[in-house]
This record gives sequence, C-alpha cells and structure tokens, in this order.
Amino acid sequence: MSLGEGQEMTNRTLNFEPDRRHFLALGMGAAAVLVLPGAVLAAGRAADIRTLAFDGDTLLIAGATLRSSPDGGRSWHDRPTPSPVSSIATHPARPGRLLAGLARGGVTASDDGGTTWTARSEGLASGEVTALAVAAGNPDMIYAAIRGDGLWKTEDAGATWALAMDRPWLDAAERDPLTLASVDLETGMGGIWIYAGTEKGLVRVPDCFCRWQDVQPGNAMDALVAGDAPPAEAPLPANEPVLSLASAPSTPSILYAALPSGVWTSQDGGVVWTQTANGQGSAIAVHPSNENHVAAVLDGTLKLSRDGGATWTVLAVV
Amino acid sequence: MRRIAIIGAAIVALSAIGFAVLAQSESDDDLVEGLSFLGEPVTVADIAAGETLYAENCASCHGAELEGQPDWRRRLDNGRMPAPPHDETGHTWHHSDRNLFIVTKGGVGAIVPGYESDMPAYEGILTDDEIADVLSYIKSTWPDRQREFQAEVTANDKGDL
Ligand code: HEC
Repeated sequence: MSLGEGQEMTNRTLNFEPDRRHFLALGMGAAAVLVLPGAVLAAGRAADIRTLAFDGDTLLIAGATLRSSPDGGRSWHDRPTPSPVSSIATHPARPGRLLAGLARGGVTASDDGGTTWTARSEGLASGEVTALAVAAGNPDMIYAAIRGDGLWKTEDAGATWALAMDRPWLDAAERDPLTLASVDLETGMGGIWIYAGTEKGLVRVPDCFCRWQDVQPGNAMDALVAGDAPPAEAPLPANEPVLSLASAPSTPSILYAALPSGVWTSQDGGVVWTQTANGQGSAIAVHPSNENHVAAVLDGTLKLSRDGGATWTVLAVV
Repeated sequence: MRRIAIIGAAIVALSAIGFAVLAQSESDDDLVEGLSFLGEPVTVADIAAGETLYAENCASCHGAELEGQPDWRRRLDNGRMPAPPHDETGHTWHHSDRNLFIVTKGGVGAIVPGYESDMPAYEGILTDDEIADVLSYIKSTWPDRQREFQAEVTANDKGDL
C-alpha cells in the first residue's frame, strides 16, 4: 500500500512523535510538573496509550509498555512486554490470557495477566500488528492485521498462523485495519462477523473471509431482491478514520468506536450510529459482562463511563 | 432439472419414502444420495450436465479442478479479488443454495450491493436449470463436513429467490 494520509494520521495521533507541537507541550508540562505533579504525570502517561482492553474487571492500557489496573484505575501495575505494543486482545472465557500485537511485528501472549510473555508468531508475516481480535465464539481463534500486508488467523491460540485475506479495498486502495472486533452476530454464512476500522471508515468481513463489505442492515439483501426501499441507516461520519472499535461481549450488537470526532455508539451492529462523546478519540474498550462499562482515550486522557458513554470520569494513570 | 422441480412440487405433502419412490418411478435418473439444490433432489444426470457446464463456463477462472486462481487470497492490482476455489479449500460451502444461485445468476453485486468483482452474471447466458446443475456439480465434489455445513446454512436461509 502507498503511504496515505491515514498512515500519517495514525503515526501522528498514536505514536507521539516529538514534533514542534509536542516539544511545546512537553515544555509546558515540565513547567506544570512543579505545580501539579500528579495531574501532569497522569496526562503524560495517557498520551502514550495506544490501545485498551478489559481482562475481566482488570483494565489494560498499552503502548510503549503495558499496565493493568484491577480496581477501576485506582492502582496501576507495570506488565512489561518484550517490545512496544500496537494492539491487545482478550477473551472473557480465558481470564488472564492477554495477546499483544507488537509495533515491530509479531504477537506475544501471556497466560498470567501479563507477568510473563511468550512469542506466538509462527508463520505470521512480519510488520506492525495494527490490530488483534479474539473470535467471540472461540477463544483459540485469533485474528491479526499486519500493516501493509493483510489479515491473518490462528486456530490454535497463536501457535501457527495463516493468511486469511487481503486488506479491505476502500476509496481506490487497500487499507490497513487499524482495529478489529469479532462481533457475535450471525452472517447467514454459518459464522459471525469481523469488523475493521480503517482510515477510510468501517468495513466488515464474515469469518469465512468471503469478502470485505460495508455494514448493511440485516435484511438488505432481501430488500434488494424484493426491490424494496433499503432500511434506515446512519453511518459513522465519512472522511474520518475509525481508530478503535469494540463490540460488547454481553450484547454483541452494541458497538463503540473511537474517531477523531469522539466516541460513537451503535445499538444495532453498526447500521445506526450516534455520538456519545466529543474530543479526539483514539482507543476504546468495553467490559466483558457490562455493555455500559466503557473505557476510552479521549484527547489523550483515559476516561471511564458506566452509562454507555453518556458521562465520563477521568482516570489518573499514576 | 425442471422436470424434477415439477415432481418435487407435486409431492410436497408426501412422505420421504413416497417421495423417493415417486421420483424414481417418474424419472430414469438416479438420485444422488444426500444432495439437493434449493430443496430439490439432484440426479446423476444433473451432475453430469453440471460438470460439462462448469468446464465450459467456470473452469477458466475457478480452475479445472475447482482449485481457484493462484494466490486467490491476495487482491489483483485492480483491487478486485481473484476467483476463489469451489472445492473445500475455498469458501463457497459457506453460502446457502439461494446465495450461490443469486451470485451465479446476478454476480456478487446481487448480494453485496455496489460490490465490484470479476465474477460474471450468468443471467441470459445460462438458464436457471443450468445454474442449478452447475452448482449441484460443485456441491457434489465436497467432502461430508462441507456438505453438512452448507446444508445447515441452506436450511437456516429463509429468504426467497
Ligand atoms: C471471469 C472469471 C470468472 C468466471 C468465468 C466465473 N467466475 Fe465465479 N467468481 C469469479 C471471481 C473473481 C469471484 C470472486 C468475487 C469476489 O469475491 O470478489 C467469483 C466468485 C464466485 C462465487 C462466490 C463464491 C463465494 O464463496 O463467495 C460463486 C458461487 C461463483 N463465482 C460461481 C461461478 C460459477 C458457477 C461460474 C460458472 C458458471 C463462475 N463462477 C464463473 C470469477 C469468475
């Protein structure tokens, strides 16, 4: 793929390159440390958060390294990874198992909540693992998106990988999945959906990897065949990347998405979306058993909502 | 195939045994055990016809042995996907009879609106019966696991044609 605007955007927003603006911010931060050490430390850490996940009640934040909080953000524990993390994934049926997609390539896994890690990259293409997802119905089935390459899958929890499919084609080019979510809604093809956020918006593929396609209302095909008017839709805003995506395991049709315009949510598997928070959204995760319990990175700050995104509290990462 | 369709329609109310006996008595063709298409039984003759139609119409892209185009998981330079295998290594067996019929008759755009693909629409090139024969032939090549999976997907597909 050619290096399009989306890639620049990703690097700029997520990798925290030390350009002039950031040096200014750092300078201001340094001055403020004298006055408000705790607050600045919190903000500084949150800016490094590339991705979020829940492992049961434990909230995981990852970027340069991984940290976990078992108590809703009151205390944080370092869980050092072999190298910087681009993506993480967990599954409700495998408490303590964390999968991390590494920025320099490869997948690493932990079965003890991040204390120890083992490489799980046999057969996987090299390149940044931009997104990872565990199949909702099968905790040993894992999907990984490799920058500039495609979508890979493993059926044995990462022991061996195989190419599943090329990347989606949107707006005249292949686009990297920046985020993946296994969405436990039937495709009508004997399986469920995998949703991907890209620099050019949301797409999905059935887990048979038959073809990438837009999110359509469930009865779109029947409407088409019958010649009826298609059902109502309210898609995510065009011209915005979908940076992070989560489907609630407890109610899979409930989706959350983090976009530069904020946090968006859908109740119907991604056909109708509404905005629930303003600000530069960059990461989102939803609790495995409570679809209203959401963590997000908004304007570089880690926030938690207990009401499906209506109200948010700031979490200090100290 | 049409003859079979009429027979099939006429005996909807009959028992499975009566159905098989009637179909056999009215047709010289042997039914293929465990195979149907769009709810109708498939005969050896349907499959033979389908095999010939496949070689003439589909093999150039999907492969003489149903093996698909080389490296079919990777996009072509034009952004389109190559023709996938129709054997068990592909994903054809994930689709219901109705879905396969609509794709073959109308192209992929007929099930995924706006989707661009090199898969031709066979409407006006093959009759409905010929499309059913060629897809029955493809189905007849699958191992049990894929056949059973696809039979379940087909049973769950409540849509109309
Ligand atoms: C000119 C090349 C070409 C020919 C000839 C062709 N196909 Fe295809 N077919 C394709 C391509 C390419 C695709 C994949 C489309 C995509 O997913 O982008 C496809 C996909 C399909 C699919 C969907 C498979 C799935 O799992 O989604 C079916 C079914 C199919 N073809 C049936 C047939 C049949 C039956 C014939 C012959 C009557 C035929 N095709 C002839 C190119 C061809």
